[in-house]
Amino acid sequence: MSDAAATLTQDRQKLEMATLSAPAVIFTVAMIAFPVIYTIWLGFQTFSSTGKQSFAGLANYSKLISDYEFWHGLWITIALYVLSLVLQLVFGVWLALVLFHAKRLPGIVRSLFISPFMMPPVVAGMMWLVILDPSLGAANYILQSFGLPPSDWLASPTWVIPTVALIDSWQWTPYVALIVLGGLQSLPPSVYEAAQIDGASPFKTFQRITLPLLLPTIVTAAILRSVDLLRFFDIIYITTQGGPGNASNTLNIYGFRVGFEFFNIGYASALMLTLTAIVFGAVLAFNRLRGAVAW
Amino acid sequence: MKVRMLATHVALPVLAIVAVGAQAHAADFDWMKFKGRTVTFLANNNPVAQALLTYKADFEKLTGMTLKVDGYQEQQMRQRLVTVMNANSDEVDVFMTLPSREGEQFAAAGWYGDLTAMAKNEVAKEYDPAGLSQALLKAATFGGKLTSMPMNIEGPIFYYRTDIFKKCGIEAPKTIKDVEAAAEKIKTCDSAVTPFVSRGLKPAVAYTFSNMLHNIGGSYIAGGKSNLCSAKGKEALDTYSRLLRDFGPPGVVNYSFQQISALYRSGRAAMAFESSNELRTVMEGGARLKDTGLLPFPAGEAGQVPTTIGWGMAVSSHSKQPDAAWYFVQWATSPEVQKKMALQGIAPPRPSVAKDPEYRKWIDEEPVRKEWQAALDVLATKGSSEVGYPIIANPESREFIGQAVQDLILKQKPIDQACADADKALDALIAQK
Repeated sequence: MSDAAATLTQDRQKLEMATLSAPAVIFTVAMIAFPVIYTIWLGFQTFSSTGKQSFAGLANYSKLISDYEFWHGLWITIALYVLSLVLQLVFGVWLALVLFHAKRLPGIVRSLFISPFMMPPVVAGMMWLVILDPSLGAANYILQSFGLPPSDWLASPTWVIPTVALIDSWQWTPYVALIVLGGLQSLPPSVYEAAQIDGASPFKTFQRITLPLLLPTIVTAAILRSVDLLRFFDIIYITTQGGPGNASNTLNIYGFRVGFEFFNIGYASALMLTLTAIVFGAVLAFNRLRGAVAW
Repeated sequence: MKVRMLATHVALPVLAIVAVGAQAHAADFDWMKFKGRTVTFLANNNPVAQALLTYKADFEKLTGMTLKVDGYQEQQMRQRLVTVMNANSDEVDVFMTLPSREGEQFAAAGWYGDLTAMAKNEVAKEYDPAGLSQALLKAATFGGKLTSMPMNIEGPIFYYRTDIFKKCGIEAPKTIKDVEAAAEKIKTCDSAVTPFVSRGLKPAVAYTFSNMLHNIGGSYIAGGKSNLCSAKGKEALDTYSRLLRDFGPPGVVNYSFQQISALYRSGRAAMAFESSNELRTVMEGGARLKDTGLLPFPAGEAGQVPTTIGWGMAVSSHSKQPDAAWYFVQWATSPEVQKKMALQGIAPPRPSVAKDPEYRKWIDEEPVRKEWQAALDVLATKGSSEVGYPIIANPESREFIGQAVQDLILKQKPIDQACADADKALDALIAQK
């Protein structure tokens, strides 16, 4: 076969492959792109209370700047994000170390440790709502049994964010622990042997060897949790609906209410796109960090 | 929009037409006319829909149609409806609606099919549209168009523990001041119980607060402006929030009907102001059956103006088969079905069903049911369907009412600031076209 004929055959094969895979590619791209493009388009529309729609240009975005609820929601989102992420990373690493070193821990106990994140968030929210009810819940009963004062938990504007962060951390710390445990199991044993020979204490070994080597894994866990935490919705919606007052009104809850309770889909789209941009920003920042701590 | 029922209203013109038309067309009516069709019903998974759907097979047998039920919790149902209607989709034929909440909004958006003509031209002999609550039909009529047919009648009522009242030497309250005095007395007489509980959750407050406001003589709007900072408005805000702050359970700002019913049923509340629909839940287990008294909410300076609402069944304006959909609506709101639902504790929006001997027998079985029906009779004759602001953005208006009440319960603002902030936000809503 001449070179020209071979090239022709290769071109034909490429064309056939492209033709055959085109429907799947087009479908996949459309499924991803359509909702995004549609939401962007909605962000430039305004909807009256009666659902009447008109082009609004950048009005929805300029409204964000002067909207107190937006800035308040952003602050609540960031506060909840930072608090939850710190709790989950600290306790996740601790739990992973416990599971890693407790080699003889029965499988059932290990499974119990990691079981909360398998529970649907709505179920977890309902369960904690009952436990934390200031009048009927078990939490205050336990506190009072130890002579401690009862708390309003989710009904207190001061304590609602720490309480929600605790609920989320109860559920997702085991997930972080699983990721970190995977990282621990992949660490090279030779480094630990060298440290042992040099007489390093367990704390020094953790501080100087384990933690630095685990950092890329911890950052990966942080990225995964960041995406979820910045979009935090289900547990808040089940437990407080953004209250008391607007003390737990995150951007996601605020956007949902604007869109589906007050029917202002245009402004809700602008809010959600802004939140998406924040999530992207956080992921990009963590990705850079991951590059910096890679070994 | 204030509605006064039966005693104070003559039948609406639209119903006169319906009634006359019904006589003309009833003879030709054929339940099997749309045999083979499928009607999709977007339902709220509340006790009203649950009771109705017990008889789904009866509808399918009667009409030869298939009923496809798309059921969700209330908020999720609205979310689905918004998506469907904004897409101009014909996926939903019939949906449940609360005219007092979203009626103005949905009507202005053109989401409701106009039932006036169908109710006139396609009515079975036994349907008796004139027998439905005139007030609820009026509340469901926007711009002269009948938009939904009532499924039930409900409103907040006053539950109180007769044994605790007796122990503390308190008479059943006749006025709001009596409620405050009773709460004060119970607080010292029986410290183990919560003296008073009602809704404190922000979006849920308007349902019970509206009754307080109207009893005191306040109004939401005066001269086209929000009126919460009027003397009566402030008195209502102060009384409602003070009752919850000083005599309510800890965490009351997160309380809606689930928490209130659970607290009262467990015996840990002496007075509860909650929906008449919660009777069945409150009486579950039978612990409260013999020690509960029921009343419409005690009078204020303007007497008793209870909140009276009802779920309605609407036909979607995007339905491709509104005629078949109407058959389902008609069956579901017929005297026969409403009587069956009444025997399951769903208060009927038809006075004739409320007087039915079988229903009366069920009512007479327990004193608490008698008091429940007596309270509902007051709701039916004196009720106002104004829950939140009578504007298109009614759902959003409830947020600001709830916010003002929560600000006061949590002592985050003095009353002048709380009502002024609410009025400012609500004036902007009122001004919206």
